[in-house]
Amino acid sequence: MTRYILRRLWYMFITLFIIATVSFFLMKMLPGSPLNAEDKLSESQKQIVLEKYGLNDPVPVQYAKYMGGLVKGDLGISFAFDNTPVTDILVDRIGPSALLGFQALVVGTLLGILLGLTASIFRNGPLDYTSTTIAVLGTSIPSFVFAGLLQYVFAVKLGLLPVALWGEFKHTILPTIALAIHPMATAARFTRTEMVEVLHSNYITTARAKGVTESGIIWKHGLRNALIPLVTVIGPMAVSLMTGSMVIEQIFAIPGIGEQFVTSVMVNDYPTIMGTTLMFAFLFVAIILVIDLLYGLIDPRIRLAGGSK
Amino acid sequence: MKRKFAWLLSLGLVLSMFLAACSGGGDDTSDKPADEGSDQAAEGGEQVLNLINGDTIPSMDPSLATDEYGFQFLGATMEGLYRLDENAQPVEGIAVDHKVSEDGLTWTFELREDAKWENGDPVTANDFVYAWQRAVNPDTGSEYGPYMMGGVIKNATAVNEGKAELDELGVKAEDDYTLVVELEHPTPYFHSLTTFGTFLPLNQKFVEEQGDKFATSTETLLSNGPFKLDNWTSTSNEWDLVKNDTYWDADTVKVEKLHHQVVKDPKTAVALYEEGTVDRAGLSSDLVDQYSTHEDYAVTPETSVFYLKLNQTRNEALANVNIRKAISLAFDKQALVDEILNNGSIVANGLVPKDFVTIPGTEDDFRDVSGDLAAYNAEEAKKFWEKGLEELGTDSVELEFLGGDTETSKVMNEYLANQLQTNLPGLKVTLKQVPFEQRLDLDTNMDYDMQFAGWGPDYLDPYTFLSLWITDGGNNKMGYSNAKYDELLNEAATTLAQDNEARYQNFLEAEKILFEDAAIAPVYQSAMAQLVSPKIQGVYVNPFGATYEYKWASVGSAE
Amino acid sequence: MDNKNQNNIPKELFKPLVRKEDTSEKISSPSRTFWQDARRTLFSNKMAMFSIFILVAIILLSIFAPMFNEYGNDDQDLSRAKLPPRVPVLENVSWLGFDGTLSGKYTGNNVEAATAKAIARYDNNEDFIDIKVVSEGDGSRNSAEVKATYHIYDAKGLEDTYFWIGTDTLGRDQWTRLWLGTRVSLIIAFVAAAIDLLIGVSYGGISGFYGGRVDNILQRIVEVLVGIPNLVIILLMMLVLQPGIVSIVIALTITGWTGMARIVRGEILKVKSQEFVLAARTLGTPNGTIIRKHLIPNISGIIIINTMFTIPGAIFFEAFLSFIGLGIVPPDASLGSLIDIGFDNMSLYPYMLVFPAILISVIMIAFNIVGDGLRDAFDPKMHK
Repeated sequence: MTRYILRRLWYMFITLFIIATVSFFLMKMLPGSPLNAEDKLSESQKQIVLEKYGLNDPVPVQYAKYMGGLVKGDLGISFAFDNTPVTDILVDRIGPSALLGFQALVVGTLLGILLGLTASIFRNGPLDYTSTTIAVLGTSIPSFVFAGLLQYVFAVKLGLLPVALWGEFKHTILPTIALAIHPMATAARFTRTEMVEVLHSNYITTARAKGVTESGIIWKHGLRNALIPLVTVIGPMAVSLMTGSMVIEQIFAIPGIGEQFVTSVMVNDYPTIMGTTLMFAFLFVAIILVIDLLYGLIDPRIRLAGGSK
Repeated sequence: MKRKFAWLLSLGLVLSMFLAACSGGGDDTSDKPADEGSDQAAEGGEQVLNLINGDTIPSMDPSLATDEYGFQFLGATMEGLYRLDENAQPVEGIAVDHKVSEDGLTWTFELREDAKWENGDPVTANDFVYAWQRAVNPDTGSEYGPYMMGGVIKNATAVNEGKAELDELGVKAEDDYTLVVELEHPTPYFHSLTTFGTFLPLNQKFVEEQGDKFATSTETLLSNGPFKLDNWTSTSNEWDLVKNDTYWDADTVKVEKLHHQVVKDPKTAVALYEEGTVDRAGLSSDLVDQYSTHEDYAVTPETSVFYLKLNQTRNEALANVNIRKAISLAFDKQALVDEILNNGSIVANGLVPKDFVTIPGTEDDFRDVSGDLAAYNAEEAKKFWEKGLEELGTDSVELEFLGGDTETSKVMNEYLANQLQTNLPGLKVTLKQVPFEQRLDLDTNMDYDMQFAGWGPDYLDPYTFLSLWITDGGNNKMGYSNAKYDELLNEAATTLAQDNEARYQNFLEAEKILFEDAAIAPVYQSAMAQLVSPKIQGVYVNPFGATYEYKWASVGSAE
Repeated sequence: MDNKNQNNIPKELFKPLVRKEDTSEKISSPSRTFWQDARRTLFSNKMAMFSIFILVAIILLSIFAPMFNEYGNDDQDLSRAKLPPRVPVLENVSWLGFDGTLSGKYTGNNVEAATAKAIARYDNNEDFIDIKVVSEGDGSRNSAEVKATYHIYDAKGLEDTYFWIGTDTLGRDQWTRLWLGTRVSLIIAFVAAAIDLLIGVSYGGISGFYGGRVDNILQRIVEVLVGIPNLVIILLMMLVLQPGIVSIVIALTITGWTGMARIVRGEILKVKSQEFVLAARTLGTPNGTIIRKHLIPNISGIIIINTMFTIPGAIFFEAFLSFIGLGIVPPDASLGSLIDIGFDNMSLYPYMLVFPAILISVIMIAFNIVGDGLRDAFDPKMHK
């Protein structure tokens, strides 16, 4: 097991190294510079500024410098914010995104599991159709349409909740709902499918024959087994939720990482784009690893000895 | 079945708790606005305003700032030699008076002795010398330093290129309260230039103590102006401008606090305005329809001019003057400003904007004297077009149209492309819409045919506009070159610099040449539509530098 | 007693058994292949069939609907900009919202002030504005309210003109643009899904079939691709290529196939270890035949299902790109760019948002239901 984990960590390191390298050279291919007013400067004036940012070095030298900094946890200085390290920006921006993502994940999956469970118990009844409809709508309606609708109805028309901005709990309600709809729908569909399958399996029949109560069957034998595969879905979903939704953060004016990323892309702030990319990548790869390991722990049927998974 | 019912019941309970939690939250919040409302009423007496900023402040370092927001908050927190008043005329700041030598090359500023930095240090002439040297010092990496000072202050360009020592820059402190500036050429508008952010003083001791951290947070800033920036770091989305009690003219400043919040989406901003959370909100064109009858609706004219740059180097069709003339006459600008922009913007038929400068002597507006140099005329356009095509020996031309990617500019791009194609048979326009920074890159590399671009003035003189198209100028980037034009502007900057009336004659003539050559196709002069709470009083809008001047602002009652 | 009786059954009650065919082993229902079963299950799924019908209708409309009227994609006319929907016959049913009028509520200190505001709002065309007083007001601030209805078609002298779902900010017919946009969105989605299918199946197939070192390397590559945010890659593509449909498709597929590859690989790994493949291998069947005859048929169900979910995914992603301003090049439209424009005019001209938003939602829902239906159809447990 230890060997397996070590090997996985080594792969993770390689993956991140390649991502860093590839994105570094991608960034070099894109046009753009730290200059904000290049239209006003002469060529020689520009060179002076580029010199200061170390952008006149040959690309391999820049690459070596960047990788060297990376090892020390230094992601460079932002082009857009003068003298501000990228790490500061990321630390500053990840908070709101992570909070929203966490709330949405909890609310979304819990409601989703409840919905899916209800649907599977009352299969083919009106409740099943209602919850399936909600799930289909949740996966189908584009998030920006849904978020706009929420904002319009609850904030603009009814004035129940603040339109946008950040600070107090009330500001998180609408964006959380907007974010939660997708994990909810996914969890609901997943739970329903798995539950239907599990409830038809032999060990449930055995449990029934033994006289286990219906609630015991659903909670103890059914749901627990049905939820195991859900873990694989929730992992990547958690990463994408907590690293911020670009559109929803924009619509609700939330100072999160997703909004920052889009802005950085628009203003060619390459060190920040790189830093964000690497952070996304790191989180993603790390979560996948954790899930693979967790999976082995919760589900005794899967053993990782072969490592072919 | 019974068990199922029990399950349903428990589910119902869970759901209802959840809903109750939600509605509980809802109640809290619905109470809140009422409280806030009364707070605001109280705040009305307390001289506090809540404002929106379109983005974070990227830089508060006077030498490094390049953008609207940087200059906005530098202007509010710092005091330079002069400050612009209600009519955009320079009034005394740190300087109480100045003398210009006979040849117009030496300016001697007399500084006030009661001006202090926030930490109690007096503001002296040395602070200006240090700041200006820092702005052109190549180690600083300033962009506006060399741009604003190069060719104006003696040796600025040489120092920036490392060909002269820092202390050779033409700025000296004769004593603590006398600043002597030597210029390359006589520059009659120099004192209006000194209101600009790049010319603000810096406290050497403080800046050097902070090192790399200078101007990245409230703690690393030192104010000498009417306000100080509070609760700010460079990535902040919320901050306050608080009255600075150590400001020399603190008695004039009435507003205690200006709270700023970053909101990028105009729809959100308007919703916040309606909610009463903020006291001013900008309106994008699509919102004007809805709010033009609102009692707080206000239009502020601006002095930015937007035009099409016609690149003569990439496509041979645009090297033909008749083709360019045809393009510059072929789109209906009135419909554009009325229907699409709809925010008080006006048609531009020249380069220098309306209500910007007046002709010395007669005091007539420059624009009125110069007249309409490129007014919409579809028939004329078609004639020029056919003539041009004949000269080129072709019957169809394909041009790329490079435009911005904001909502309004997207609609405008489509409109202009459609107008050109409709009025000029045989023309095919392909649109390319990119974010601002990328457009600048393509512009620098002259990688476009037609580009939708704009320019706002940096100082109060037509030269800020007309110098754009000097052969090989930093902003030309479209291969325009006319010897006569260059000569007229060169004269205005050198030999005629002392003779303002002659300079303006040169400017008028230069603008005429520009449009005889149809170098650019002017589109419109912008205006700003906003919802402004009537309680905001005495806020001036500047044509350049800091957009808003809050020094003389006050908070009235909301009604 | 009983026992006795049974023993006393008269002999004549017994008859010799007539020899006839043994029926105990007979299969009562007709024999169907897996595909026939799948089809039957699908056909009996009413929702899925209805969704297929809707999708076919939408595809047909996206081809033919732009020809229903004389307006072109880029026929601009600012004088008829932002006209509300107006449909013949339906225009007489006012609550449907197809009567070609704009209406809004205006407040003022008294009725006159409110009315003046309403008139100012609607181009000062007093003759074409109906004013209905909602509340008289008592002179205090904004206490009076009127409802104004503006007959904009009549005011602009367009009595006989009908824009079925209105016009946009440049006076272009929304009906034409909506269906042309749908066409663009569908083309992008179908092409992207087809390319995803091709690359994903071959990549996942190779990875799963050969396993071992090959699999390991290929999976690392996938991990790297998945680790870089799509937006970065797409942005690069948009800069390198000329913006347009082709680069959107490339941008979508450059990372989009990884999902398919993962699923196919997983299925191949599962199927490959089953007995029938082992048997084929033992019999010396070449790899190509094993893949063609044994593996592909067994995983085709999951491929079809996954493709069904790729298509709405691609439609959504294209819309997302257009929404953040990196999508289709005007004057062409897509559902995403129409929604983007609609969003900006949401509160005043809701029809600009409503129709494309409903259409994209319907398309996505229909594809999802069909996907679900297919999943059930390919699941042997669901066959009846």
